[in-house]
Amino acid sequence: MTGVTKITMVKKILADGSPCRKCEEVETRLRDEGYLDRIDHVVVADERDPDSEGMQLANRYQIERAPFFIVEEEGREPRVYTVFLRFMKEVLQTEVNARSEAAEIMRNDSMDYI
Amino acid sequence: MTNKPFDAAALAEEYDQRSPQDILKLALDSFDNIAISFSGAEDVVLIDMAVKIRPDVRVFSLDTGRLHAETYRFIEQVRQHYNINIDIMFPDAAETEALIREKGLFSFYRDGHQECCGIRKVMPLKRKLSTLDAWVTGQRKDQSPGTRTAVPVVQDDRAFGSADNPLVKFNPLSNWSSAQVWDYIRSNDVPFNELHNKGFISIGCEPCTRPVLPNQHEREGRWWWEEATMKECGLHSSNVKSGS
Repeated sequence: MTGVTKITMVKKILADGSPCRKCEEVETRLRDEGYLDRIDHVVVADERDPDSEGMQLANRYQIERAPFFIVEEEGREPRVYTVFLRFMKEVLQTEVNARSEAAEIMRNDSMDYI
Repeated sequence: MTNKPFDAAALAEEYDQRSPQDILKLALDSFDNIAISFSGAEDVVLIDMAVKIRPDVRVFSLDTGRLHAETYRFIEQVRQHYNINIDIMFPDAAETEALIREKGLFSFYRDGHQECCGIRKVMPLKRKLSTLDAWVTGQRKDQSPGTRTAVPVVQDDRAFGSADNPLVKFNPLSNWSSAQVWDYIRSNDVPFNELHNKGFISIGCEPCTRPVLPNQHEREGRWWWEEATMKECGLHSSNVKSGS
């Protein structure tokens, strides 16, 4: 995707001070696959601190889970990705298996209401 | 209708304490290309409410291929009772066959339900939602206490929508309790799935749904063999300050 000027990753610290497991997995994968340097800014949503930058961003964009990614591009509204594999596919332009992406959506939301 | 700016965040705040009927009216007045997602369970109340606003409201269901016979009978009963069309979405045959060939018919008990649900529910849902501007769900906060603390009555759907194809999701029942849903069903003679008479509260696929005992939460009837900790990544809204 061309024209992207800034990518922010928001990861979470749980109320007990431990890191969110999925956030760690996502960050590790980005690092292992050589994409971490494409992330301009990593911020923390600390459940113990509602003023933490990540919690404020979650509030601003009405996001209910972490990790999530904010993609800023000149002349466009910021785009927010809550599905990591979709972010990988659309922004980092990697090959993503449709089955894996669907499974990730299920992990984010049990979908017990459909 | 759909070409005017729709500020989901502002409307979520404005409509948070409004009735489900008011929220449904907002949804149906704001979007022509909108449909209700019907799971074959208590979300039938949405259909009952919606047909009173728009008799030809569009409804769709996901047939995963693993539903109870009672649920199939109920979907048909609802179709006839309200004289509506219900679009039934099916899983992709090749994806389903590949999963079963590779892992058998009950892989979810071993590997977790996400992969199977991804193929049988999420992919057909994604296909359906790609044709819509907005959808309506029966999602409620009380269905999953602790992990579903923030369910706005209306929101931008970031899982299925995109900047190029925005999608709005309405959750008119978000603030209702199960008791309120059942009060409505009884007061309005709304048909319901016969599985509810057999102790089922939350109803999904047959292998992944079971009745619950008195005082058990409805979530204990779904995917009971999995750890609750798998849903740790929700951001607890009580900790998020508004007005930033």
